[in-house]
Amino acid sequence: MPTVTEVEPMIHVDHLGKQYGERTVFSDISFDVNPGEIVSIVGPSGCGKTTLLRCVVGLMKPSHGTVLVSGTPVVDPPEGVAMVFQHFGLFPWKTIAANVAYGLTAKGVSMKDAAPRVHELIKLVGLEGFEKSYPYQLSGGMQQRAGLARALAVEPGVLVMDEPFAALDAQTRDILQLELLRIWGTRSAAMMFVTHSIDEAVLMGDRIVILRGRPSSIFDIVDVGIPHPRGRETVDTDRFRTVRDYVWRAVMHDEADDTPLPTDADAVRIEPQSHRNMNGHDHG
Amino acid sequence: MNRRTTRHRLRVLSGYVGGVLLGAVLWQVIGTIAPHEVFDSLSDTLARLWQIILDGTLGTALWTSFQTYLVGMVFALIIGAFGGLLLARRQLLRIALEPYAIALYATPMVGIIPFLLALLGFGFWPKVVVIILFAFFPVLLNTQRGAQSISPELLDVARVYRTRERDIWRHVILPYTLPFLMTGVRQSLARGLVGMIAADFFLSSDGLGGLLITASERFDTAEMLAITLVITVIGLALMAIGRALENHFARWRVG
Ligand SMILES: Nc1ncnc2c1ncn2[C@@H]1O[C@H](COP(=O)(O)OP(=O)(O)OP(=O)(O)O)[C@@H](O)[C@H]1O
Ligand SMILES: [Mg+2]
Repeated sequence: MPTVTEVEPMIHVDHLGKQYGERTVFSDISFDVNPGEIVSIVGPSGCGKTTLLRCVVGLMKPSHGTVLVSGTPVVDPPEGVAMVFQHFGLFPWKTIAANVAYGLTAKGVSMKDAAPRVHELIKLVGLEGFEKSYPYQLSGGMQQRAGLARALAVEPGVLVMDEPFAALDAQTRDILQLELLRIWGTRSAAMMFVTHSIDEAVLMGDRIVILRGRPSSIFDIVDVGIPHPRGRETVDTDRFRTVRDYVWRAVMHDEADDTPLPTDADAVRIEPQSHRNMNGHDHG
Repeated sequence: MNRRTTRHRLRVLSGYVGGVLLGAVLWQVIGTIAPHEVFDSLSDTLARLWQIILDGTLGTALWTSFQTYLVGMVFALIIGAFGGLLLARRQLLRIALEPYAIALYATPMVGIIPFLLALLGFGFWPKVVVIILFAFFPVLLNTQRGAQSISPELLDVARVYRTRERDIWRHVILPYTLPFLMTGVRQSLARGLVGMIAADFFLSSDGLGGLLITASERFDTAEMLAITLVITVIGLALMAIGRALENHFARWRVG
């Protein structure tokens, strides 16, 4: 009789698989992202993280399975979905303001009508005074701020980021991670955050999806369990270290390696046995 | 402007003027020594130039040539731009047509002119066709290369923000390709000039090339040199125009 009131997930990935010709990139990938939740995706290079994101936002058709965004199957890029790109994806012939406005002007909103929101977002990401600059006149970090502002301009319910800080130097990356978390605190949307950096995955994510294997599939989904707001001090907490060590081991763990995962691994696993099928770590 | 750049500019300028002066002196000396049927001096050349300016011969020829050149270049530009875009974005078309384009590029255009003559006869349009054939290829090639080099990420951006297909052309592919197209235009301007002179040689007795031919038939070396000088100046001017166009449209390609 008790009715379980479940939040409808913003993103529902259901048994997703992708093949290029003969080659299967990933298979049987299922997970949800709830409203306001950040899910980090980690996995070795070439395991299909970008492909997965492109399937989620409708830039690409999966070979198997479906993606639902707000309960609706994704075929083409849906309304209310935004993406931030590794190389920023700014149009070099457009000013920063025009780039930030792009998600609106593409829908037919005039630059004039978009101006107030564009201004607000440019302020939010700290780019005031650069409205009329061209992307090549800005540093990488500033360009990605513009990329972020453009994404936020469409007021997305779903925001996916493909290694957004990978092309930046370490210092800029540190600053932008915290900036993103700060900005994130002011809005609520479901976010998928692909990264190669395990520290970044833990710092940003509420949960972490670990992809592994060839073809890859979900090896584990980790509950980070660090409350928001997070800051620089987050990385000095025991919980951060525990999660990071576990994820690090899970990602680096070679197929042939028999070393067991750390004993405190159970503390971070939320979807145990079903996904962990292969090797080593059950011996311990 | 500080003193160092001023000094630098002065040096460049003096080198430039010195080079031109040296050339002029050499021309004058060689022209004076050499027999008139072979080469003529700078002063004779300039005098002859002044003459054909005054009697209107040069003006008429320039006007005729300019008309054919302009019409030919407009067509070359349109064919090159549309052709390049189509070849870049429609794979089937590219596979089907690229061999022809390459073959056409490899063929010395001058060799085609007699065929055109047989096919189309004399007059305005055959000359325009020759200019088009000379000039369209760089536009086509650069436009195609440009449109093909557009990063997939930018197309993803356009699609993820729900740009309609025809707006993707207008908002992304065309603006991205424009600077490449302009590089092609710069190269085409000079090739079109060559085409224009060549067309005149074969197809008419008017126009700049025609004037050149008749002068040579009269062994009027001074007039030949005068016309060549005019053609060179036009060529230099076209190059400058081309470069300015390219720079203007490629502002954002910096860095
Ligand atoms: N259009 C395509 N055609 C064929 N194979 C492709 C295509 N796009 C990607 N692949 C292949 O699919 C695999 C997954 O690519 P993807 O870019 O999704 O990996 P990734 O996890 O994002 O890698 P990275 O961490 O290097 O960004 C790679 O082996 C890649 O070569
Ligand atoms: Mg990738």
